[in-house]
Amino acid sequence: MSLKTHARSKAIHIMLVYTGGCNGCDIEIVNAVLSPKFDMEQYGVFLTWNPREADILVVTGPVTHDNKEPLIDIYNAIPNPKLVVAAGACAVMGGVYKNCYGDIPSEEIEGPVENVIPVDAKVPGCAVRPQDVLAGVVAALPHLLNAD
Amino acid sequence: MEEKKAKKQEIIETEIQMGTVHPAALEPYRVRFFVEDEIIKDAEITIGVNHRGIERIMEGLPVEKANMLTEKICGICSNAHTWNSVRTAEIGLGVEVPDRAVYIRVIVEELERLQSHLLYLGHGCETLAHETFSMRAFYIRETIMDLLGMIGGNRVQYGCSIIGGVRPRCELDDNRIRKILDGMGLVEKNVAEFADRFVHDSIVLSRITGTGYIPQEQALKLAITGPTLRATGVKRDLRTDMYEYDNFDFDIITQDTGDVKAQLLMRVFEIFESIKIVRQAIRDLPEGKITDRSWEMIDTGLIESYIEIPRGTLYHSYAIEDGRVRHSIVRTPSMTNIGAMQYACIDNHITDGQLCIVQCDPCFTCSDRAIEVYDTKNNKLDKSILQSNIH
Amino acid sequence: MAFEISLISILEIVLTLIIALFIGVLIPGIERKYVQARIQQRIGPPVTSPGLWASVKFLFKENIRPNSPAPGLYKAMPILCFIAVLAVFLALMPENYQFITFASLIAIVGFLKVEEVAYVLMGSLSKSVMSINLRFPDHVKGAERPGLLVSSIEDISSNRSLRMIIFGSFPLYLALFIPAALSKSIYLGDIVAYQQANGPFLFTLAGIIGTVVFFIGYMILLNEYPFSYIKAKSDVIEGPYMELASKYRTFVYLTRGFLIFTLGLMYCVLFLGVAPELFSLKFIVCIIVSLLFPVIMAIVSVFSPIFTNKQLYPTILTTSALGALAMIIALF
Repeated sequence: MSLKTHARSKAIHIMLVYTGGCNGCDIEIVNAVLSPKFDMEQYGVFLTWNPREADILVVTGPVTHDNKEPLIDIYNAIPNPKLVVAAGACAVMGGVYKNCYGDIPSEEIEGPVENVIPVDAKVPGCAVRPQDVLAGVVAALPHLLNAD
Repeated sequence: MEEKKAKKQEIIETEIQMGTVHPAALEPYRVRFFVEDEIIKDAEITIGVNHRGIERIMEGLPVEKANMLTEKICGICSNAHTWNSVRTAEIGLGVEVPDRAVYIRVIVEELERLQSHLLYLGHGCETLAHETFSMRAFYIRETIMDLLGMIGGNRVQYGCSIIGGVRPRCELDDNRIRKILDGMGLVEKNVAEFADRFVHDSIVLSRITGTGYIPQEQALKLAITGPTLRATGVKRDLRTDMYEYDNFDFDIITQDTGDVKAQLLMRVFEIFESIKIVRQAIRDLPEGKITDRSWEMIDTGLIESYIEIPRGTLYHSYAIEDGRVRHSIVRTPSMTNIGAMQYACIDNHITDGQLCIVQCDPCFTCSDRAIEVYDTKNNKLDKSILQSNIH
Repeated sequence: MAFEISLISILEIVLTLIIALFIGVLIPGIERKYVQARIQQRIGPPVTSPGLWASVKFLFKENIRPNSPAPGLYKAMPILCFIAVLAVFLALMPENYQFITFASLIAIVGFLKVEEVAYVLMGSLSKSVMSINLRFPDHVKGAERPGLLVSSIEDISSNRSLRMIIFGSFPLYLALFIPAALSKSIYLGDIVAYQQANGPFLFTLAGIIGTVVFFIGYMILLNEYPFSYIKAKSDVIEGPYMELASKYRTFVYLTRGFLIFTLGLMYCVLFLGVAPELFSLKFIVCIIVSLLFPVIMAIVSVFSPIFTNKQLYPTILTTSALGALAMIIALF
C-alpha cells in the first residue's frame, strides 16, 4: 500500500449536507459522530463543516427545489478526490416524495441526489442507522483510495 | 420587564448570513444577523428550504395512508404527528380507543419527549461548543432510542398509532415492561448526574445565564407554545386538557427567567416528569385488547385536534370524504416559535446567536409548509407587499 | 565578535527540527485520543490520524483555487506562519545564542506577532461558500436593507483576530518578560546562564505566577477552546482557514503542532533554564514539558464551552493583572 492510500484510509473527513429531509437521518448521522456509543472517530472518520477540508459528502433528504443550488455549490467547493454518499430513502430514490403525484412531475422535489450530483454509494433506510452510514462510507472508500 | 425591539436600519452596520448549511444548525434554514460591533440588533430567519408539500401529498390519500405519511413530517417527533393525525380521524369517526392502547400511546409519547429533550440538551451543549456535555447527553439518549426501537421496530420512524388503537407490534409484554423500567431507572440516574454537573459548572452558567432572554409579555404576544413558553413563567400545558392524560399525576414545570439557562433546566425537569408518567402508566397498565377494529369509515366535516408534543402544540385538521383525506392542515410548534427565535437573538453576542435560535427548540423541517401572501385586491402573489410588510 | 557556525551545530539543529515536527504532528492525536476521548468515555481516533495522516492526506488533494480576492497572498499566509514559527524555534536553539539580537525576547515577540497578523489577513481574504456566497434562491427576499455592509463570516473572524492582537496576547507577552525582569537581560543566552547559576525561575514566586500567566497566554495564542474565539464552530466555522485546501492545509496542521512544541521549548528556556541541547538529558526534559502543556490544555478545553466577550475580557484582564503583579515582584 502506498503512502497516499494509507494516509487517505487513516484520516477521512466527512461533511454532512441536509437537503430537506425529515431530520431523522441528519440526527442519526450526527449521532453516529457525537454519541460515544457509535463514535465514528475510532475508525478515523472525522466530521467537518468546511467543504475545503472534506473528502466525503454525505447527503440526506430528497433535494428540495431551494436546496439544489446550495448542494451543487458545496459539491463544487470540495477538492478532488471526493465521494458522495446518499444516506436515507429520500436521498437514494426520492422516498415518499418521488412520484407522489403519479406521472405529474413534482415541483418541490428535484429528485434523488443522483439527479443533481454524481453519487458513489447509497445507504438505504428510513431513517438510516448509524452503523449503516459507516458501512456506506467504507463501501465507497476504494474509489477514494485508488483515485489519483 | 421591557419588551425587546429591533433596531432601525440606519444604525446597523453589518449583515451576516448563516445557512443554509451551518454546523450549529441541524437542518437547512438561512438566518441573517444584523450586527453592530458583534452584538445582534436584528435577526431574520428565512425558512422554506425544506418545503416538500406533505399536506398536498396527503390530499386525496386514504386516511390510513395519510396517517402513515404524517410520520415523515418530522424525524424527531414522528410519533406525535402520527398520533395526532390518527386522533383527528378518531374524533371525526367517533372511534372508542381501548384503554390499554391509550396507555401504550402515552408511554411511547413520553419516551419520545425524553428523546427529544435529551436531543435538545445535546444540541444546545454542542452549540455552546461544549463537546463533552453534548456527548454525554447523546449517550444518555441512546438508552431511549433502544427502547423506542424495541417497541416500534425502528429507531426513528416508530409511530405506533393506527385508527382504533396501536399497531400489534407495539404490544407491551412483561419482558418489554421490565426493559422499559430498567431503562427509566438508568436514564433518571444519568440525567440527575448530568444536571448536577451542569448546574455546578460556573463557566457554563456564566455563558447561559441571561443569554437569549425572552420577556413574558413578548412570549404571550408572539403566541409561542410548549416548553419555550413555560420557561418564561406561563403555566400552560395542553396535556392537562387531553383525555389521555386524565389518569396521570404530574406537575407542570415552569421557570421564571426565560433565558437559555431556564430553557435548559426546563427540559431537565420535564425529563423527570416524563419518567414519572411512564412509571405510572406501566404500573396502571390495563388489561385488554390494543386495537378496536369495529369502526366504519364515514364522511365527516372538518375535524381538528390539538395535542401537546415535546416542542409545543401540534394542530392537525382535515375532512374525510369517501375514506380519503381532504383539505389537510398541519401546524407545528416551531411555526409559532420562529418569532421568539428572532427576538431572542436581539442584544446577544453573535457567537450566542445560534444558541438563541436553538434554545427555542426549532424544527424547521416540521414547519416548512407553504406560506403565501396574496394581494386580495388583484388576487395574485405580490412580492412588493412582502417586502414592505415583513419589517 | 566572532560567530561560530560549524557543520555539526547545523546538523544538530536540523535533527532537532525533524524531531520537533514529528512530535508536533503527534500532539493533536495525543490530545484527542488519550485526554479528550478518555474524558468523554469513548475510544477516540487512532493517535496518528488527526495530526500525521491528515496532514499527509492533504498533500494528495487537488490544489483548488481559493475563493479569495487575492488567492496568491492568501495561500502564502500559512507558509509565512510556518516561517515565523521556524524563526522562533531557531532563536531558541542554544547554538544560536551567540547571535544576540536574534536570540532575544524582542525578536521572539516580533515573530509571534507575524503569526497573529497572518490570521487577520487570512480572515479578510477568505470568502467561503458557507455564508453569503451560497446561492440561496430567496423567494421571499426578506427585509431589504439598502446601504448595508454585507460581510461573510470570515470577516467577523478577522475583526476578532485584530482584537486579539490588541489585547488577547497580552498575558503571553507579559509572561515572556518576567524572566527578563528577573535576570535583568532580554538575551536568551544570559537568561539561561543566570538560571544555571541561580536555579530555575519556576521556583521563585514570580516564576510560579508567571507559569500560570504563560499557560493562559499559551492557550489564547493557540486558539484552543475556550479561547477559540476566532474559529468558533458556532458562528465562524473555521474562521481564517476556511478556504485553505491541499498542501496549504497541511501547512496549517504542521504549523499548529510545531507552534505547540516551540512554545513548550520556550517555557523550558525561559522558566527552567534548560536549553534544548540534543543528545542530553535536557532535551528529554524539554520534550516532557512540551507534551505536558498540550495535555493540560486538552483537559481544560474539554471541560469548557467557548468564551464570548463577556467571559473573555475579564479572563484576559485578570491574567494580565496577575502578569503585571509577577513583573512587579520580579523587579524588586
